[in-house]
Amino acid sequence: MSAELLRTLCYFLTGGFLIFLAITITRDNFRSRLNRVTGAMLFFAGLGPLFMALGSVLAQSATAPLGFEASPVYKLRHLWEFFFPLLLLFSCLFPFDRLSRAGYRYIRLAIFLPPLMHSVIVLFFDQLSSALDIFHVDPGDEGLSSLVVQPLATLFSWLKLTLNVLRGYERSIFAVISIAYVVAAGYFLETGRKRVTNPKILTQTRWVLTGTRIGLGLYLISQIGWLLFPRQFTEGVTSTLLVIALLAGSGLFIFATIRHQFLDVQMVFRQSFVNTITSALLVGVYIVMVVQSRAIVASMFGVEAELVSYGFIILLLLFFQPINNWVDDLIRSMFMRTRTDHRNVIERFSRQVISLFDPTQLRQTIEETLKTTLLVNRVYFVLYDDSITEYAMLPSDDHPRRVVIDRQDLMLRGINLLDAPTYYRSLTDYSPGSDLATMLETRGVRMVLPMKDADHLLGFVALTEKAAGYRYSSEDLNLLGVLSNQMVSALTNARLYVESLERTRLQEEINMARQIQLDLLPSNPPSIDCSTICARSTPSRTVGGDFYDFIKIDGDRLGVVIADASGKGMPAALMIAQTQAMIRTEVNNGTPIASMLKNVNQQLADATSAEKYVTLFYGELDTRHGTFHYANAGHNYPILARSDGTIELLKTGGPIVGALPHLEYEEDTVILGPDDMLVLFTDGLSEAMNENEVEYGEDRLRQLVCSHRNQDAHEIMETMLKDVRSHDPTSPPRDDTTIVALKMNGIISTHE
Amino acid sequence: MKLTDREQDGVVVLEPRGKIMGGPDATLLHDKLYEFIQQGRTKVVIDLSRIEWMNSTGLGILIQGYTTLRNSDGQLKLAKVTDKIQSLLTITKLVSVFDAYDTVEDAIASFN
Repeated sequence: MSAELLRTLCYFLTGGFLIFLAITITRDNFRSRLNRVTGAMLFFAGLGPLFMALGSVLAQSATAPLGFEASPVYKLRHLWEFFFPLLLLFSCLFPFDRLSRAGYRYIRLAIFLPPLMHSVIVLFFDQLSSALDIFHVDPGDEGLSSLVVQPLATLFSWLKLTLNVLRGYERSIFAVISIAYVVAAGYFLETGRKRVTNPKILTQTRWVLTGTRIGLGLYLISQIGWLLFPRQFTEGVTSTLLVIALLAGSGLFIFATIRHQFLDVQMVFRQSFVNTITSALLVGVYIVMVVQSRAIVASMFGVEAELVSYGFIILLLLFFQPINNWVDDLIRSMFMRTRTDHRNVIERFSRQVISLFDPTQLRQTIEETLKTTLLVNRVYFVLYDDSITEYAMLPSDDHPRRVVIDRQDLMLRGINLLDAPTYYRSLTDYSPGSDLATMLETRGVRMVLPMKDADHLLGFVALTEKAAGYRYSSEDLNLLGVLSNQMVSALTNARLYVESLERTRLQEEINMARQIQLDLLPSNPPSIDCSTICARSTPSRTVGGDFYDFIKIDGDRLGVVIADASGKGMPAALMIAQTQAMIRTEVNNGTPIASMLKNVNQQLADATSAEKYVTLFYGELDTRHGTFHYANAGHNYPILARSDGTIELLKTGGPIVGALPHLEYEEDTVILGPDDMLVLFTDGLSEAMNENEVEYGEDRLRQLVCSHRNQDAHEIMETMLKDVRSHDPTSPPRDDTTIVALKMNGIISTHE
Repeated sequence: MKLTDREQDGVVVLEPRGKIMGGPDATLLHDKLYEFIQQGRTKVVIDLSRIEWMNSTGLGILIQGYTTLRNSDGQLKLAKVTDKIQSLLTITKLVSVFDAYDTVEDAIASFN
């Protein structure tokens, strides 16, 4: 394959790619001026190589007429020079739009004049030249007509001279003008680049600029070289330089568009672009191979075998689809699977936010995702704040103060009605008198993303315009819809996480409280000469409202307490801690039992409200005399099972303590004989309820104790707990349960 | 717990139904009593015949109601106390605190 053929192929390919890219970009968003200008620029850039290819094909063709360069179609090749003014316009639009505000309407049109003139001169030189001869004046002709005609004829002959000069040096003159355009465009692009802040746009700009630099640099070298050293820079050298320039320039433009979403071209178009190019290339290669099949087979086997070459073609065709798919996948994996691919964005975003529980970090991730993938300039958050039960706009770089939004704000109510990402301009009905609307307008908000959890508006994200003047596409709206759903779940997750942290902290505190409560209960029942004592308390929650206590008064006397605070859990636990402390103080002070209960009642009634109370039983065992002094403040009657099977209930005392002030209590004494059993319990046992809501009942408990009165203290406790559990097997029990069992020994030693 | 009220011979008769268990029940009864006190109606009878069950917190609510009315120079009396509640009042020895009557009429009559 000759260098000439290769060059022609390159011309065709680059020309084709550029025009195809131009169409793709223009079609993607025709309303955007940047897209239109870029499209037109690439279109004219593509015309150049296509005409060059045509020229070289015609030059090589043996049948071509010698003067093909004069054919009107081939003369159209100079139209490609419109590329230069369009490049200048492009450099004024990307990455910053310098035109919309600046005006320069006439200059904008004027820059198209040089290429227009060039094309007109090349196309119509002969016609113009002969048209200027109209006023040709014969030397002998005089008179009135010559007075008018003469100056015109002179003017026209000057014009003709200018035209001839232009025609003679057109290439040099317009090369200089093009160079001037290129230099100006290069200057604008370089200065524009320095103002870019969005990282994504910066990447795009970098690639586009690299392409332009290489392309234009090579173009400048070839043109300036040709102007200064026409002998060294032959047609062949300059056109090779131009081919490289075009390949590099257009290649990097395509790369920036496909891979880095230059001009924000939608995924669908970028995909179809890649598909078209790969299939075109593949089909091209196939056609060449099919056409050459006979020769290929001949070179392989040394003979021409027609059937083998048919077989070769069929084999090729069989592999077409797999190879096409493979090439397609390869190109896709190289170009398309980027961070901007929406599927990747969604996947990445959901992966990131699922593990983010810190609301601030979560917002940063959302903001970064929107900025890098959708190229949004600024992102604002308005979120519902649980602590103040109001919506608030969160601080941002440009507005560092948090602003609380009135619940009745019209715009807020309008956004509350939305279900999907919505253009701000369609919400103008809600603007009148709305502070929120004013805020959004001063921030330049273009898009509103409501975040709804069922029917509740968690808040919304407000987006400004996109960077480099790109517009929101339907693809963007779809992506925003999916992202906002994920944001809702992420925000909800984060909130639940914070709540669960709070719960964990509370649980830890409750666990500590449980430990304190356990420490407050006597760890081992005291050993007493004449009896054995057992006790157990099981809270229905981590901490309970029951307690028992043993207070050793002196060598012979032991105080026994059982109590049950109203309610359950922490409030009840606090009540009993207080009660226990009061009782210990009173006992240590040696207060008589009835007075002790009166004091405890008075202190508790003063300290707590009426619905908080404690049922309390206090008794003092005197081992010297075998007596038991007690007082019962509204507590379940302790059961005294005599060894002979009779049951006595220890009722004497007064009302519950803590509910009502100024109450009086009584005390009583029983004599405990050998093998007598005393059982104290709380209503968690007697009121244990089965699934039919039938209570265990005090009668059943009394009978149980009576029939097992021969057991020791530990055994009777286990018997009771087992029997109650058989009635209500719920574990832990529904209510706090506490038992204290005291069994007198067989022989009581009296010291009297 | 559901709570209905009516007035009979210048006495407010409250008729709670269901279970008295605390939590929202406490607020319900307390708000109702506060409302009556504001209106100067401080003679209240609670008809307990429709109460299925009452726990320790429920008893606390009754005591609270009793105290609230007494502090406003009023009185709370109980009528048609069920066996279960009667035994609860007996064990806690609140029988001596609350005035309990067999019928609502007896309770109302006791105010005069």
